[in-house]
Amino acid sequence: MASELKSLVAELTNAVNRKQFDNVNTLLTRAKRTLLLQNALIPTSSTDPQLLVLARETLELGALSAIRQTDAPAFTRYYQQLQPFYDLEREANNTLDTKTSQRSKITGLYLLLLLSSGDGTSFHTVLEGLVEEASLKERNVEDDPFIKYPVDLERNLMEGSYDKVWRETNSERVPSEDFALFSNVLVGTIRSEIADCSEKAYPSLPISNAKNLLFLESEGAVMEFAQQRGWTLRDGRIYFPVEPEAATRSEKDILVASSSIIENAIGYARELETIV
Amino acid sequence: MPAERRSLRSNNKPDTSSSANGEKARSGSQSSSSNKDKPATTRSAANKVKPTKAASSNIASDSGMGEQQDQSHTNGTDSTENGVNGSEDIEMDEDTAGGPTSSFNASKDRKGDQKMTVVVPPTKDSRVSGDRGQDREGDVPMEGAGGEEPGSKMDPKAKAIQDIKTNFTFLERAVTHFDPRFTLRVLRSISSMRKQITSDVLAEAIVGAYPKSSTTASLLLSAIDQAGALDDVAGSTSKMDVDNDKAKPSSKEVLPEIDTYLSILVQIHLYDRKEIQKGAKFSTGLIERLRALNRRTLDSLAARVYFYYSLFFEQIAPLPPSPAATVTSIRQPLLAALRTAVLRKDVDTQATVMTLLLRNYLSTSHISQADLLISHNQFPPSASNNQIARYLYYLGRIRAIQLQYTEAHGHLIGATRKSPSSHSARGFYQASHKLLVVVELLMGDIPDRAVFRQASLERALHPYFLLVQAVSIGDLDGFLNIVNTYSSTFRKDGTYTLILRLRQNVIKTGIRMMSLSYSRISLRDICLRLGLDSEESAEYIVAKAIRDGVIEASLDHERGFMKSKEVGDIYATREPGEVFHERIRACLSLHDESIKAMRFPMNQHRLELKSAQEARERERELAKEIQEGDIDDEDAGGDFDAI
Repeated sequence: MASELKSLVAELTNAVNRKQFDNVNTLLTRAKRTLLLQNALIPTSSTDPQLLVLARETLELGALSAIRQTDAPAFTRYYQQLQPFYDLEREANNTLDTKTSQRSKITGLYLLLLLSSGDGTSFHTVLEGLVEEASLKERNVEDDPFIKYPVDLERNLMEGSYDKVWRETNSERVPSEDFALFSNVLVGTIRSEIADCSEKAYPSLPISNAKNLLFLESEGAVMEFAQQRGWTLRDGRIYFPVEPEAATRSEKDILVASSSIIENAIGYARELETIV
Repeated sequence: MPAERRSLRSNNKPDTSSSANGEKARSGSQSSSSNKDKPATTRSAANKVKPTKAASSNIASDSGMGEQQDQSHTNGTDSTENGVNGSEDIEMDEDTAGGPTSSFNASKDRKGDQKMTVVVPPTKDSRVSGDRGQDREGDVPMEGAGGEEPGSKMDPKAKAIQDIKTNFTFLERAVTHFDPRFTLRVLRSISSMRKQITSDVLAEAIVGAYPKSSTTASLLLSAIDQAGALDDVAGSTSKMDVDNDKAKPSSKEVLPEIDTYLSILVQIHLYDRKEIQKGAKFSTGLIERLRALNRRTLDSLAARVYFYYSLFFEQIAPLPPSPAATVTSIRQPLLAALRTAVLRKDVDTQATVMTLLLRNYLSTSHISQADLLISHNQFPPSASNNQIARYLYYLGRIRAIQLQYTEAHGHLIGATRKSPSSHSARGFYQASHKLLVVVELLMGDIPDRAVFRQASLERALHPYFLLVQAVSIGDLDGFLNIVNTYSSTFRKDGTYTLILRLRQNVIKTGIRMMSLSYSRISLRDICLRLGLDSEESAEYIVAKAIRDGVIEASLDHERGFMKSKEVGDIYATREPGEVFHERIRACLSLHDESIKAMRFPMNQHRLELKSAQEARERERELAKEIQEGDIDDEDAGGDFDAI
């Protein structure tokens, strides 16, 4: 059985590297079935370490191929399945071979996935565990390039240094080709963020400047983008929609305010009644 | 001396539940409270900690017992038996010094039960008069013990044993009256007693509490390496007076509450002596036994047992931050305990176990599990204050990690306010304040300076103080310096990741400062002042700050400057009204809560009802008289007319 699995894994690696995803998917199904038969899909302390390594490798390959096929739910599933394996790895008396483990890469990809889907809560929850673990080993989370990348991106995004995010996603700073897959999503995210900010921050903006600000290739692309967001173009400038008239709003405000004041006052009176 | 004491105790034993002992307990507590300035008395220390509370509970318990007695008399015929008992048990105040007879009692009782200090025998009805004869005999050496008391106070060991015994009485009273306040009182006394507990003291207390064949006793004794104590004592007491031996079998089963109380003492003793492995083993066995019992009077004790249980396991290597920590092994039993506690509506255990589980999860940074636990469970609102404070702290921590700062802030405020300010709980106070300061900073607020001036916080919070200073002036370099200098402290406090998130807040504060001070400033200057990498970054950051509502300004891209908008008058907005409303709401809820927290004496309303009834009767009589008078006045014919 183990030898069969081994050959399967080798085939799988090959197929993933050559990006034959149809082939990969059928191979994965077969490999997972074999693992299930051997009871190695969920690791226990009594499972044969050799088998564990193979099982982990299968799942990691599955995760990577899911990312390359941009199948986020499948990737998340693989990530969750891998967790027990990684937990075993982290234990002090592990018998597993950690060298072949792609743990930090998979975790980094997961973090990036969370970041690109805007799930800050889960992102920080995962990160907190990593920081804790790293400080156990007297290290920084940032020492790991795969983890550092999403952490830096997040920090810059929160800070608002979108140009840095842009540069990170654009150049060769991406730690591995799998990480580059997220670049498009991230650029889309920052572009809409910038658009949101510009609406509030600028009264108007020349199209040529907007091109640079939004990291778009041409002025034509800017115009298309502006139309999508409903901005008005006039004399080579973008005019952002102004907020609804302040005067009408204040009138409405007064109405709302007076009713709430009346409500409050009646509330106080009632409470006083019960006290006295 | 020890032999004598032993004999005293063995005389004591059969009537621990008797009235005489109850009186003694009271007199003991009274005398010690009057001796407050004596440093040697542990009880007085306990009194000092919460003097008002202890006093009030004293009063409350007195009046409660008064009611009880009152009840038993009004109950009806069986009062005669009680009355006979009462002739001995009821201790009048000085003015009724003459030997009270039972009838006198009964009549006196109705009018003046406020004047009396009544001790109700918590005995069962099955108690026969023969027993009582023994009691009286037992009383004689007891007197001696009373006279001896000043002497025994000097000896902390004797005092500790005395205290433990007193607590037995309280526990028994708690069971018979079904009143958790007695149990709480016992638990409160533990902290003051803690220093005096040695294995000798415990062994003596255990031997005194159990018949010699008890398996529980031998179990407890073996846990403290005193397995032989039972046999030794058994051998020596068998020589003692005969009635002692007779009394022993007649003594009823030892209450599980007393078992548990002694077990807690053993746990504490083991913990103080750092016998962690042993303690863990003992606690595991103890919890097995506790799970079989279903008694509401045991709840608060069981909660304490779980607390020490988890404390032991936390200290066994591998220690918590590692994923293979020993604490993970007790999650299963704790979860089982939580389930049982919820099903039994056992609020104390539920609250304690929940906080323990949260602590457990957070120690290995399993935050998602902790979050799930919170979302699937409801924390009992009637839990004790300390448990609520703990729960709020953990909740605040989880929410802070999940970026929900506003929620985290609310919880942490609650935790710091509810945290006991006494010396022993200073660690919690500091920890919750540290977290609170960081969360406030993350929310963009600057914590009050007064926080850092408190004596109990000043030193512990010094790094945080520097941090706040850096953030409040928007000094990015200074901020990074402080983070680097104190990174080990922050890591230890578990606030490091949160503090790293502060960078953006420092920048935002800096931008806000500039927006307030300048009506127009170039992006280049902003970039220089904040120590940013490029003007481009500065532009994006300022744009984001504008969108997030941090500043009121607009940007000019072509000329590269930020122009601040005029700040409107805050009093023209609804803000002051809303703040005012908030405060009124807080005051009203404070009022509501204090009314809810008031404690009313039990059955007090009956007296009122009685007087009301009397008044009504009097009124009715009056009305009748008036009516009759009317009839007398008028003639019969008129009356008929009226009909």
